[in-house]
Amino acid sequence: MKKAIPIFILFLLLAQRSFSQETFPRNDVKDDRAEAYAFTHAVIFTNSSTKIENGVLLIRKGKIEKVGAGLAVPAGYTEVDLKGKYIYPSFIDLQTNYGLPKVETPTGGGGFSGPEQIQSKTKGAYNANQGIKAEYNASDEFTVDSKTAEKLRASGIGTVLTFRSDGIARGTSAVVTLSEDQDNVVILKNKAAAHLSFNRGSSRQMYPVSQMGFSALLRQTYLDADWYDKQTPKPFKDLSLDGWIASQNLPQIFETNGWVKDLRADKIGDEFGKQYILYGGGDEYQRISEIKATNASFIIPVNFPDAYDVDDPFDADRVSLTDMKHWEMAPANASFMEKAGIEFAITSDRLKDRADLLKNVRKAIEYGLTEAAALKALTETPAKLVNVQNQVGSLATGLEANFLISSGNIFDEATVINENWVQGKRYPVKEVDNTDLSGKYKLTAGDKSYTLEVSGKSGDYKFKVKITDSLSMDAKSKLERELISLSFNTTKEKKNDLVRLTGWRQGTGWKGEGQLADGKSITWNADFTGALDKKDNKKEDKKEKPTIGDVIYPFVAFGSKDLIKPEEILIKNATVWTNEKDGILQNTDILIKDGKIASIGKNLTTNGKTIDGTGKHLTPGVVDEHTHIAGGGNDVAANSSMVRIEDQLDAQDADIYRGLAGGVVAVQVLHGSANPIGGQSALIKLKWGVGPEELKIKGADKFIKFALGENVKRTGNPQSNRFPLTRMGVEQVYVDAFTNAAVYEKKWKEYNSLPEKQKANVAPPRKDLVDETILEIVRGKRFVTCHSYVQSEINMMMKVAERFGFHINTFTHILEGYKVADKMKAHGAAASTFSDWWDYKWEVHYAIPYNAAIMQRVGVLTAINSDDANMGRRLNQEAAKTIKYGDVTEEEALKMVTLNPAKMLHLDNQIGSLKVGKSADVVLWTGHPLSVYSKADKTIIEGAIYFDIEKDQQLRKDLEKERARLINKMIDSKKSGAPATKAGSKPHMEYHCEDHGVDQAIYEN
Amino acid sequence: MNQNTIKFLLIAFLFITSNLVAQTPYPADPQQKPMLISGGTIHVGTGQVIENGALAFEAGKITYVGPSSGAPTDKTKYDVIDATGKQIYPGFIIPNSQLGLEEISSVRATVDSDEHGDFNPNVRSLIAYNTDSEIIPTYRFNGILLAEAAPEGGIISGTSSVMQLEGWNWEDAAYSKDAAIHMNWPAMQKRKFDFSTFTVTSEPNPDYGKNIEEVNLFFNDAISYGKLSSKEVNLKMEAMQGLFTGSQVLILHANLAKEILDGVKFAQAHGVKRIAVLADDEALKVASFLKENNIPIILPPVHSVPKRDDDPVDLPYELPSLLSKAGVMFALSHQGMLANGRNLPFYAGTAVAYGLDKEEALKAITLNPAKILGIDKTTGSLETGKDASLFISMGDALDFRGNRITEAFIVGKQIILNSKQQALYDRFSKKYNLKK
Repeated sequence: MKKAIPIFILFLLLAQRSFSQETFPRNDVKDDRAEAYAFTHAVIFTNSSTKIENGVLLIRKGKIEKVGAGLAVPAGYTEVDLKGKYIYPSFIDLQTNYGLPKVETPTGGGGFSGPEQIQSKTKGAYNANQGIKAEYNASDEFTVDSKTAEKLRASGIGTVLTFRSDGIARGTSAVVTLSEDQDNVVILKNKAAAHLSFNRGSSRQMYPVSQMGFSALLRQTYLDADWYDKQTPKPFKDLSLDGWIASQNLPQIFETNGWVKDLRADKIGDEFGKQYILYGGGDEYQRISEIKATNASFIIPVNFPDAYDVDDPFDADRVSLTDMKHWEMAPANASFMEKAGIEFAITSDRLKDRADLLKNVRKAIEYGLTEAAALKALTETPAKLVNVQNQVGSLATGLEANFLISSGNIFDEATVINENWVQGKRYPVKEVDNTDLSGKYKLTAGDKSYTLEVSGKSGDYKFKVKITDSLSMDAKSKLERELISLSFNTTKEKKNDLVRLTGWRQGTGWKGEGQLADGKSITWNADFTGALDKKDNKKEDKKEKPTIGDVIYPFVAFGSKDLIKPEEILIKNATVWTNEKDGILQNTDILIKDGKIASIGKNLTTNGKTIDGTGKHLTPGVVDEHTHIAGGGNDVAANSSMVRIEDQLDAQDADIYRGLAGGVVAVQVLHGSANPIGGQSALIKLKWGVGPEELKIKGADKFIKFALGENVKRTGNPQSNRFPLTRMGVEQVYVDAFTNAAVYEKKWKEYNSLPEKQKANVAPPRKDLVDETILEIVRGKRFVTCHSYVQSEINMMMKVAERFGFHINTFTHILEGYKVADKMKAHGAAASTFSDWWDYKWEVHYAIPYNAAIMQRVGVLTAINSDDANMGRRLNQEAAKTIKYGDVTEEEALKMVTLNPAKMLHLDNQIGSLKVGKSADVVLWTGHPLSVYSKADKTIIEGAIYFDIEKDQQLRKDLEKERARLINKMIDSKKSGAPATKAGSKPHMEYHCEDHGVDQAIYEN
Repeated sequence: MNQNTIKFLLIAFLFITSNLVAQTPYPADPQQKPMLISGGTIHVGTGQVIENGALAFEAGKITYVGPSSGAPTDKTKYDVIDATGKQIYPGFIIPNSQLGLEEISSVRATVDSDEHGDFNPNVRSLIAYNTDSEIIPTYRFNGILLAEAAPEGGIISGTSSVMQLEGWNWEDAAYSKDAAIHMNWPAMQKRKFDFSTFTVTSEPNPDYGKNIEEVNLFFNDAISYGKLSSKEVNLKMEAMQGLFTGSQVLILHANLAKEILDGVKFAQAHGVKRIAVLADDEALKVASFLKENNIPIILPPVHSVPKRDDDPVDLPYELPSLLSKAGVMFALSHQGMLANGRNLPFYAGTAVAYGLDKEEALKAITLNPAKILGIDKTTGSLETGKDASLFISMGDALDFRGNRITEAFIVGKQIILNSKQQALYDRFSKKYNLKK
């Protein structure tokens, strides 16, 4: 048995001190103590890279006085011998709402099925948008919360950053310690950081509801703040903008929930010269190079998902590869970040129980994170990120005495935190002393003698009394500091034989008083006789480093380990639909080189890959003028011209791959149709595997969605109170927008024409992203795709455009285009329509499948579009319907899904036809491209084969194998006792124009 | 509902009713003279194909199907159609359709498919069936000549009837009254929105057991009702009896493989004689069970997106072929936008592209649905003695490139194929002086 003095005894009498701040009134004599302690013989990590053996830590009045090896203990310092123990700086958590009131979030509301909330409901002189709460300072409301403090301290945390999780701009946070002292003392720093998010929180104001809306609102707020700041006197009071402006020089912490939003947030930061600290989602490993390129520092959670319960194969089907792989790889996220050289702090936020912090950090270490990096992420880095490194985060002279005492290396599984000292005050966590009680004792109780065996370890001892050689009874025990109580039966039958003992520590054993079952009082003592018999201690297998699968791009089924690359490809002997003067060429070769069509002809040769096109048809890739895959959605302001689909592109949408399997190469991802003026669209190519930025077509013209009719009238919501309610009102939204934009333009022109000297004295007009976008339209820098159905509104739209000097580039849906085709031709509008949709609502009651044929024959540039992921992968077949309905020629029919939409999107100089020098965006079909019996054999974008019908078969096999491996691993994990969640699924979300409230629906649930 | 909405709906309703009279084609008279179609390729619907075939029918019944060489020679007795180079098919049959029950899904006034309440076997679809629906002619235009007008919603949605897509009123149009009862099997999984991850997830339905108990009680009471010698009339119980005599088929709608198993086992245990299941690829997981128990499947649209990210991209396309290989009998159907049901033939075409035999695909929209609905004795294939419900197409009716119907007959009556959509096509072609 080892002998040591229990250290806690020293502190039994150390009670909470009353207010220590000298400005406060006293109700006693002055009691200002030195609070001087010396912690000796410990292993001390002063920071993540400095370890001191036999270290001494001197603290006085809550601060660190000195730390080093073998320092002498000055006289008067209470010495605490920590032989065998470790000291670390206590942890810092940057993601808490510690000591702040709970945010009440209203349920429902917001206008999906009820009346819309157009204005902010915040009372007072605050921002026009309820999601902007930059006026808030956490330190104004902060008060110590002992209960939470105790919990957090138990996780090893000594200091936190606390902020209010409400709104897109959330105001400032405060750095506070977890000492249960006066509020004035625990706040180390107020206004420590400013906080942002993509979450409107308790606001139910109609705008914004979408990702792109959150981005747009942030942009406008930056601009508004800048404008407001320059005004003297201020045109009005906006306390939120005042707060925003005042907090711009603080660290800006942006909360996201994963790499996709990390990248989105960082992009906005770049636009306004801000480098955010990103609170990510723990899936950053999935795109580590893009994450590294943000140059951001990160805060990452360690909330690793549980395995799914996949014992039942039908249940297993519901779990996606993404979820399974994330389960396997999430613990390696921190390690990926370390290896990539990304600075990060670790938070206990998002854990079901913050007490699991160390457990999960240890798991991250098991998955490759170094201990030094782990310690850094828990101490130095968070301190540095909010500029409190001179107060906390390491152990050095002058810093707060915030440190942990642990029973060993803190990252060892068996180690427990004994004490967490905060600002020089001791907070016991797990009262464990070094005394090892295990062993054999001779127990004498009254006139009987037994062998008492104590096994286990501190905090978890088991007592067993050997009554005879063949009979052992478990004893109930209770140990409190030096006191003990024990009770045990002495016969197998356990009848009237209970011996109850109470006593105290005596030497290497115990002694005390007791009572037998018959009521007779006895005395007892137990004397240590030796160690327990060594059992065959199963050698704990050194834990093997866990194996994890590969990161795939994208991180969903049918992703690949490597990004798809362009090749030199010769397709031989195919039927080639050129969409050029040459028409359809039989038995023709086509050579693809450097991403372009290098030559079209016969008997071509190559050093690259050769594909036999015999019996197959080669056409330009399918172009979809109207889709909502890969990140479509809707914001809901009547004029949403400031929102941009490119802010919310989803490069991992399974519909991208499905589109490729249908021969689609390029699409316009459109905003929804809830608003007369919808958002800016994104033109993308279906490059499966790249990140959202690389999806975009570089240098493409800019487009915007307009919408007319039932959706913008909010017909689906009878309680709607949003203007406009009628087609009359819809017209006025446009007239208003273009009129205002003209006024806006004039204001800027006047300002810009001022002499430089005068300009310096005049504040510039407000920059308004709505007006800016509208002006782009008028100036011919942005083009309109207008969702439209009935002839009256089509006509109206053209008249409005003509009045304001622009033209409608494309009418989309345009199901009554056949009624005004002549007017459309005269206006110069193109038409992108459905082949045969009709009668799903009143305004399409007169839609006819001959629409495309009539418009095309009248001379309107006509395309067939999808608006739908399902139809979007069969557009060639939809085009074929124009032959059945309206006798369009086959070549013209194909053009309706290739060249014509390419022209509408101003991309026909690159794609849409097969011509030497054009981009090699082509499809090889197994047969006639307009037949129901044909499939895309290969879909090539810029010379890279993004879909290959044979490779697809291989990917399916790989998928099956990878799923099987992960399922087995999950089953093993469950067997080993790890928790398993019920197999759920995440249904694939599809967007259509008709889902004009879908984002909101999701948001409001 | 505010004033405006009511006004809007009222106006919408008036428009529809006034237009219907003007624009749906008038029903044809019963067949007067025998008809002989000769020279085309006949797709019998049983798998058999007759090149250079002939087909004759009289008083609505087929009197000859076979090679041209064996056709009736007395040409004067017949109206003759030379179908050389053309294709002849049995009229397509669409099961589980809201055709005639719904006009414009978003206009409540025009929707009559979903009644209040959970147990509605007594509610009969043919009562609401609107022969003047403007959607009906657009189905016929593509070769669909029979439809099962099926109610939806609740647990027992109601009783369906098979309607011929022709007639002055629902009594005329009824082909097989009260053919099936539709039942939505209670869901084992429920959707839930998870705010922490901002995703929709599904999780086990905690009320599943309770839901099943309700169904169990209803069936048991219906069985008991059928056997009681003295009783008061109960409309709901009365309406269930056909399931136990076999005069009606129970069409179970199920979302998950386990629901299929649970539902079929339940129906069998309760003495339901004929069972069909409406299910998607989940049916594939229990294909051997379905085959052993002779349970046919009605498939949702072939033109669909896979449900799960991990599904093969073409799973909905390949599903008919996979079921066929597994020996499960199935019919194709449509769900979603009602107007799109006219694409049923192309669903069959896509199934062919993904491995299904062409004539098997044809069966899936002719004889198989006829069998499921219990009307195969009189329709579903081109065989002597059966009804002459058929059409002639310029080319392959399962392909967009060939589906051009020139003539169509429902029980011998030659129907008018053009309707409002063609009329508008004509009208605006004239406006613009277009050559058609």
